[in-house]
Amino acid sequence: MKDRIHRHLDGELPEDELQPTDREHVDEWARMVDAFRTAEPEMTGSPPWLEQRVMAEIDALATASPIARLADWIVSPKQVRVSPLAAGLVAAALAAVITLPGRDVPSDVSGPSGSGASVQTAAEAVVYVQFIMEAPGAQSVAVAGDFSEWEPTFALDDADGDGVWTGRVPVRPGVHSYMFLIDGAEWQTDPNADSYQDDGFGNQNAVLAIASGE
Amino acid sequence: MSQVERTDEQVVRDILSGDRDAYRLLVRRYGDTMHGHALRMTGSPDEAADLVQQALVKGFKKLRHCREPARVGAWLFRILANLCKDHVRSRRKDVPLTLVASALQSGSNPEADAEGAEIRRHIWGALDALTPEQKEAFVLKHVEGRTYEEIAAVMDLSVASLKMRVHRAREALRGLLEEYA
Repeated sequence: MKDRIHRHLDGELPEDELQPTDREHVDEWARMVDAFRTAEPEMTGSPPWLEQRVMAEIDALATASPIARLADWIVSPKQVRVSPLAAGLVAAALAAVITLPGRDVPSDVSGPSGSGASVQTAAEAVVYVQFIMEAPGAQSVAVAGDFSEWEPTFALDDADGDGVWTGRVPVRPGVHSYMFLIDGAEWQTDPNADSYQDDGFGNQNAVLAIASGE
Repeated sequence: MSQVERTDEQVVRDILSGDRDAYRLLVRRYGDTMHGHALRMTGSPDEAADLVQQALVKGFKKLRHCREPARVGAWLFRILANLCKDHVRSRRKDVPLTLVASALQSGSNPEADAEGAEIRRHIWGALDALTPEQKEAFVLKHVEGRTYEEIAAVMDLSVASLKMRVHRAREALRGLLEEYA
């Protein structure tokens, strides 16, 4: 079908601008639309019982016990939206759980050589991670990641003033991405991270994988 | 102010404040329009009524998530339209295209006898040859006679995307005629 005919049917091209060869197609189309309009099911309005049934179902919902409502919520399908980044992290976490066999994580062990983070297990499922960042001249350094909702709530410390900032942060086992915030304004990627992941905005987040300790 | 005169926005506010019974006003205001669309999409009064009931109950459950209470009618319509598309998709069946094409060619004014009813059924069946999205766009535009702007607002689509769907639906129906007539 020619674009001119679509434009005419869309009300964008007046009839007098159609070419003679278009007319046959337009007439044919008009007949077809008429056929659909004539053939459409008879419109009878909504059935009289609709309002009563809807309100009865709503009343039943409202008077259902909390347990029944919870059960209904559990079994009813939900739409789940997952960003590619979150899906990647979950997949990576699952891969880490599968590929890292259960083993004791000794207290206060360093991470891989050169890594900016080391781990120490604690009670329950929380692991204390030692973050290390070299930032000579910085007035403050904080770490933020998915474990802190990306809020720079964990400040690192440089008590001896040598420009090496450290701090221990409780993190649950799994795969986490994080960044350092220098002087409250400049985000820096950990140069010694185990691995990196694109943050979806053209930068790289550092990635830390922590197996669950026994 | 009487109950009937309440605006949609007020009705939604009242329902969310605990006046559950006010929901029947929305059922009365939008039930017929919703049923008409469901009937055009399914071709079956029973299926249409079930879908409208589902949509209205779902709308009540999710009412807190309605971002524009003044346009709650459009919001409910969108819930219904999505249910209709899913329904059409799930029950999609082979369409007797030769019969459909000959019915379409037989004229726009089928008589009201048994043969006419059969012709009308085949003509309407042509829409089942389209995808649910194309069928929805075609019905809204050419059968319900809505403007692109109205449809785009209700379906949360751009006018350009919508036009593309309608164009494809037209092409598909035209192809059907050329191939099978």
